[in-house]
Amino acid sequence: MALAAAVSAGAQPPTFTSKVEAVRVDVLVTDKGRALTDLGRNDFEVFDNGVLQQIDFVSYEQIPLNVVLAFDMSDSVAGDRLQHLRSAGAAVLGGLRKEDQAGLVTFSNPVVLGSALTTNRMPVREALDAAGGAGNTALVDGVYAGMELGESDVGRALLIVFSDGLDTVSWLTPGAVLDIAKRCDVVVYAVSTGRAKPEFLRDLTSFTGGRLFEVERTANLGAIFLDVLQEFRQRYLLSYTPRGVAVSGWHRLDVRVKRKATVKARPGYLAGS
Amino acid sequence: MKRLASAALLLVVFHGAAGAQDVGPRINRVELWLKAVMGHEAGSVDESSELAASWSNADMRMLWIDASAIVQLMRNPKAASFSVRAEGETRAQPIRYTPAQLRRMKVLSCAAAGRIGDIDSVCADAAGELDPDLMRLGMLSRAAKLRGDDNYILRRGALLHADIAMLAPRAGEPMNSMPGPGPRQLRLEIADGRGVDLFLVATHWELARMLLDDVRPAGSTKPAPGRDEMVRLWYRATAAWMQWQESHDTVHLDRARAIFPADADILFLSGCQRGAYAAPMIQSALQSAILPTGFRFDLGSEKAELHRAEDFFRRALAANPDMPEGHLRLGHVLLLLDRPADAAVALRIALGATDDTLLRYYGQLFLGASEEVLGNVDAARAAFTEAAALYPLAQSPGLALSALARRRGDRDGALRELRRVFDLPREQSDRDDPWWTYYVAQARNADDLLEELRRPFVHAEVDR
Repeated sequence: MALAAAVSAGAQPPTFTSKVEAVRVDVLVTDKGRALTDLGRNDFEVFDNGVLQQIDFVSYEQIPLNVVLAFDMSDSVAGDRLQHLRSAGAAVLGGLRKEDQAGLVTFSNPVVLGSALTTNRMPVREALDAAGGAGNTALVDGVYAGMELGESDVGRALLIVFSDGLDTVSWLTPGAVLDIAKRCDVVVYAVSTGRAKPEFLRDLTSFTGGRLFEVERTANLGAIFLDVLQEFRQRYLLSYTPRGVAVSGWHRLDVRVKRKATVKARPGYLAGS
Repeated sequence: MKRLASAALLLVVFHGAAGAQDVGPRINRVELWLKAVMGHEAGSVDESSELAASWSNADMRMLWIDASAIVQLMRNPKAASFSVRAEGETRAQPIRYTPAQLRRMKVLSCAAAGRIGDIDSVCADAAGELDPDLMRLGMLSRAAKLRGDDNYILRRGALLHADIAMLAPRAGEPMNSMPGPGPRQLRLEIADGRGVDLFLVATHWELARMLLDDVRPAGSTKPAPGRDEMVRLWYRATAAWMQWQESHDTVHLDRARAIFPADADILFLSGCQRGAYAAPMIQSALQSAILPTGFRFDLGSEKAELHRAEDFFRRALAANPDMPEGHLRLGHVLLLLDRPADAAVALRIALGATDDTLLRYYGQLFLGASEEVLGNVDAARAAFTEAAALYPLAQSPGLALSALARRRGDRDGALRELRRVFDLPREQSDRDDPWWTYYVAQARNADDLLEELRRPFVHAEVDR
């Protein structure tokens, strides 16, 4: 955990330094399914391994997004499914704000950078249109690349993964990538289609505070992706500098709000090597 | 060798009961079969193989039964009752023929065994009942016998049916075509870890194995395929071909090990097969496969298959310790079994015993993973770096180096390594990552083995 620090609340995009040991937590607060969007710093409590922390700042809709699409382009994604995926990706791009960045990673056997993070939608769209389905599924490798791409620039990183959930050829192991996921600030949402149990994606989305959608058909994929984007925008970004806890190891996080609500955030993070 | 298919295939075997069936076409097919065996040029698709390949699965199952009877008659011309026992079955099933059928079968067996004209109740007069082709078969079979090899039909029959299965397989038949006696084989076709089709295939491999079971080496009065070099090579070559094509057949190597229990190569391929069964590609397909009632895969969980693989690799290395790839693949299995220290030992033995670039790539990649688990970061980085140098267009070492850096908190280093992966050619065909073909690479010599197997039978002047 080595990102984050001072954030300007003004009109200029916030900047971060990499020197301060701060922890960022993306938090979704809902009441009866509706997002609560009027909370301030004093409404939150963050416990790191049971120790109440002082929250340095709370941000809502102020920090540009780094939205990385990590799409399965294997044999199992072809025909209508591929078209739906392209359309859904385009819908996400259309839902971004001017200052948001988008990037694309595709994976079959090879993990391919379709587009680096950019505020220009055109190269991402072109890469989406050019991607085709063939080969096996390096899901774990692709997810890793997507997470790293998401963290490659300042901003809040959202990784949207689409796959049939079956990894058949990755070099990296699910355990290794989950370990890395616990160390980074990327929030992962995933859409899995097919009969296989998407255990890796379930663990990944759980550890990063995101959500897994299991769908039978892909015709409605665009709406799901837009829901993901909207939900992510409704999340608060909390930052604090850990105090009174060990530097290394697993840190259990407990985020609370001082009113009746449901709080969704990652369950913890790994620090140190 | 160019890989022909990317799909993994998995075979399931089910055996039905053998029984009497209708007559004329059935015996005629045996005659056509004998001629096809004689006329087939090993390693080619010719009229003979095309004819036999055109027979339906039901025809092939019946032929398997009748070929069993012919083999029994070849060895015992006075046989009057017959039985067959399919692979995996404990009880033999009787075969019945009408008197006319039995006489014709005996005449055909005279030609197949090279006994035309022998002082024998049937063979003495058989010449008058055989056409020129069958007479020629009789001469060729006799000539082989005089050279000390009384296995003409058996060896060539096995080559014919292996060639059909490998070079010109008939399209699969739907499951509803199953009724009828004889062995049956189901095939599950797998694509990207999912079972995409399930169908019946003709039993060419079963017929070939049945024929070779009766091979008698020179000087032997009883079947002893385990002392026959051609049979050994046949199993090695065909099992390697199956693995190269990802056309897995558990029964094939089970039979090979029953005949050659201490053969290092066959044990090695058995370990590779079980290792492949443990891989996500097949394990995930198993989860999604829906089999008909009564069918099952002879496959266990990932852990169970890894333990089987370990056992086979250890037995292979006990039979031949000088097998770098055996140590390498044992090391990989041990890594997957969460025994990284043992894995590192095996991998270092492999790396110390080979200069082969491919094997060194695998060895360094696996050694890097073992060292990473053991917490030896520098050693892990060195091994991954070595692997990357061996195959600069491979992405796996780059991803490994990136993830290693990221887990150590070196975000810049992780990004730097990842950018190298992103800078690789985009197309799969332009990248060269042997990791993607690890589960078939053990069989990269399949073409050479097949050529070696077929060589004595191609344009064999001694047979002509």
